[in-house]
Amino acid sequence: MTVRRLVTSLFAVLLIALAPSDILAQEAAVNQQAPGFTLKAADGETHSLSDFEGKYVVLEWLNYGCPFVQKHYQSGNMQQLQKTYTEKDVVWLSIVSSAEGKQGYYPPNEMLEQKKKHSGEMTAILMDTSGEVGRAYGAQVTPHMYVINPEGQLIYKGGIDDKPTTDTADIEGATNYVQLALDQAMSGEEVKVQTARPYGCTVKYAAK
Amino acid sequence: MAKRLRRRFYTVTLILLGVMLATVTPVMGQTAPVDTSDSSPHSEASLASTVSAVAPGETFTVALYIEMDEGWHTYWINPGDSGEPVTIEWSLPDELDAGAFKWPYPHRIDASVLTSYGYSDRVLLPATVSASSDLAVGDSVTIRGQASWLICADVCLPASASVERTFAVASESVSASSAEVQRIEQAQARVPESAPDWTFEASRSEGSYGLAFTHSDGNGPDISSAQFFPEEGDVLDHAAAQPLTRQVDAFVMALQASPYAQSPADTLRGVLVAPSGTSWIPGEEVRAIRVQAPVVADGAGTLSIQENGLAASTGSGSGRVALGWALLMAFAGGLLLNLMPCVFPVLSIKILGFADSSGEDPTAMRRHGWLFGAGVLVSMWVLAGTLLGLRAAGNEIGWGFQLQSPAFVALMALLFVGIGYNLLGAFEVGTTLMNWGGRLQGTTPDSGNRGAFMTGILATIIATPCTAPFMGAALGVALASSAPGAFAIFSMLGAGMATPYVGLSMTPRLLDRLPEPGPWMETLKQFFAFPMFATAIWLLWVFAQQTGHNAVALLLFGILLLGVASWILNRWSAPTVSRTARIVSRALVATILVGAVTLALVGARYDRSGSSSTSTTNADAQWMSYSAERVDSLRSTGRPVFIDFTAAWCLTCQVNKQTVLTAPEVTDAFEQSNVALIRADWTNRDADITRALASHGRSGVPVYVYYAGPDARAEILPEVLTKDMILDRLSGGT
Repeated sequence: MTVRRLVTSLFAVLLIALAPSDILAQEAAVNQQAPGFTLKAADGETHSLSDFEGKYVVLEWLNYGCPFVQKHYQSGNMQQLQKTYTEKDVVWLSIVSSAEGKQGYYPPNEMLEQKKKHSGEMTAILMDTSGEVGRAYGAQVTPHMYVINPEGQLIYKGGIDDKPTTDTADIEGATNYVQLALDQAMSGEEVKVQTARPYGCTVKYAAK
Repeated sequence: MAKRLRRRFYTVTLILLGVMLATVTPVMGQTAPVDTSDSSPHSEASLASTVSAVAPGETFTVALYIEMDEGWHTYWINPGDSGEPVTIEWSLPDELDAGAFKWPYPHRIDASVLTSYGYSDRVLLPATVSASSDLAVGDSVTIRGQASWLICADVCLPASASVERTFAVASESVSASSAEVQRIEQAQARVPESAPDWTFEASRSEGSYGLAFTHSDGNGPDISSAQFFPEEGDVLDHAAAQPLTRQVDAFVMALQASPYAQSPADTLRGVLVAPSGTSWIPGEEVRAIRVQAPVVADGAGTLSIQENGLAASTGSGSGRVALGWALLMAFAGGLLLNLMPCVFPVLSIKILGFADSSGEDPTAMRRHGWLFGAGVLVSMWVLAGTLLGLRAAGNEIGWGFQLQSPAFVALMALLFVGIGYNLLGAFEVGTTLMNWGGRLQGTTPDSGNRGAFMTGILATIIATPCTAPFMGAALGVALASSAPGAFAIFSMLGAGMATPYVGLSMTPRLLDRLPEPGPWMETLKQFFAFPMFATAIWLLWVFAQQTGHNAVALLLFGILLLGVASWILNRWSAPTVSRTARIVSRALVATILVGAVTLALVGARYDRSGSSSTSTTNADAQWMSYSAERVDSLRSTGRPVFIDFTAAWCLTCQVNKQTVLTAPEVTDAFEQSNVALIRADWTNRDADITRALASHGRSGVPVYVYYAGPDARAEILPEVLTKDMILDRLSGGT
């Protein structure tokens, strides 16, 4: 036994000197630190994720032109969620990763009009025109939803609920995973569903 | 959900208007007027039919016909990663009854990372309508439907339309126009059929399914690929490749489970589509058949279709790392191989040899550089060919397969000892044999060329026990991809490995920077013998775990004979002795060498007293040995599970084990979090473990997999572990 230890330790020394660490960047994953970012909001203010340390943060990938997003805005479901949780001191950031000229992109002033038109209750609409933040988070669809806890860890990543349709009638009776994650985490419980299939329209990223 | 299903699958809405029905008054008169231009952008819907007049008591087919602008598509019953299936709500008179859509098979629509299933340009969704015998001849009946669908290109728009069609009621049905009938028939030909001659079964192992199917009389089509479209949403990973292998009469398709699956499926349902021009049923044109495959059990060997039919699942796991990345990692891995203890001494001496000859003809130097590179590449291709060939023959092997053979390990040990003796100067290999000791210079151009090529081959051979960082993931992809992809990755590995040497030989300016040659080179050369011996010791240690003490003794005896041979070669070396003495001594050396190799091989074959699985498990009592069932049952108890995929011959694995996994902080943390520890020992061949590796997109060890809880996804930790990584992971989890 000790011989085996000795032998392996010998090789360990040889190898450790040579082995570089894993340098591949990983996209955001549940139970890990959420990637930091700094983005300009439609109203011109600049927000960093680190500004909100100590608070729950919801990230919502947004494209007002997408029928799956419209399902939740026309029914008032999304605004209701935003209102409920921002009142509980949750920061709600809606991120638009549509490239300029693609569906969902509006210049900042028009984006503010869209927000008003849809009576948005989010903390801010952030402009991620380059798609950098969206890619770092692995945002695939609108609405792709993320919940970050006060320690900065991602506790939910996935679809908004379990009914992948555009029919507003399906909102009633659906299990809203964002609500579930926030309620469970805020009451000190374990987040039961940490990830679920994201559904919606593809994010209209700029071509790489 | 139930409501939705009803609407999707058999949306027969009967409006009861009692007596009024006798006159077949149009119902739903209050609905909005048909307005297709606004409500259905980029598409038009209408109702097609096989008949223009219906007869009482007969059935006919109507089809929702959606014509789309070019480049736009709509979705199948399972839309895949995004989208929504077409729906229709029928409004029918009492005398008519419409069935659910019979969905023609879709095609794959890939949009960046998302894969959907749907139809482009146009689609007809047929449904069977039966007319009651109460229909009165001479009347007319109207079928109405409210259809809704998503119409998508790079953007998605909701679309809806009211469609209707009125039929005369006649004593005998009248066919619609032949063009219309033909269109519906074409759509029906694409509706998957049930194929009683085919038997389907599926097996499941961690993260993947193997769908096996066989024709009752072995009369299957000759195909090398097929597509499976799952009917349910969250069962399979839609974007993953679906490699198909054929073993005698059975086909096996490897499918990746959806990362969002709530629980493993007990039945795989869907449609299997053969390539264009082929048919599942001999003599008929049937490209798509319905699949309903019971998932037999976890793990291997349980399929009645074929005992070892799951070799295909080792070919899965693509899509984790894109080929481009894999090529890059292979190149980096190849570069790093130069620094590994088994390769570094030989190549560095070779490179220093350049210093000696740097004043010489640069053309010859360049030629030697290229030849070395060619030697590396050719041997990489031989390696790739062997690996792929063995796998095609149904062997469950991955990278490191060579080290799973004790005979190979024994020969490698002999080779490393031999190189060590040579570096020490115990014997000289003349120009007639390969030039491995850095004596590229000073020979005839011809033998120098051959020497360079042979050095390339030697470098690859001695590199095989080593795995550099980045190589693991790249080789995982190599084994999962098609043969050209695998060869490309092995080529990049070779290219990376050859680059420093070839690069130096191409740039005389760099060569000038090399330190001045001198006696120190001889010192360094001799010193480098010791890493060679160290590697040999390690190989012996591996060999000991694969076989037993008798075999080790035999191999050591073989190494002794190798020493004798090199002593004879040196003592009676060419210039100092007579021709006769030389011939005799050479013959003796050859005989002794054969004896050494024989001893090594006999040892490898005959003694299996100590198999590694027993010797490693009692050393680490808290580790359980791997089985797919054990992982599943442990996970279902809610405990976090950590799996260590390892092998005695894997250096990185041993390093991680000694420095991280057995460190007191780490074992304490494991205990505190009540982590179930599982060790999958791949020192000897093990099909179950190979399959499990494949399900994580890997083909070699080390791989560290962590499940934080029963519902958590498998997380793969880096190949080079640190204590902090594990501690962070454990404290961050659950």
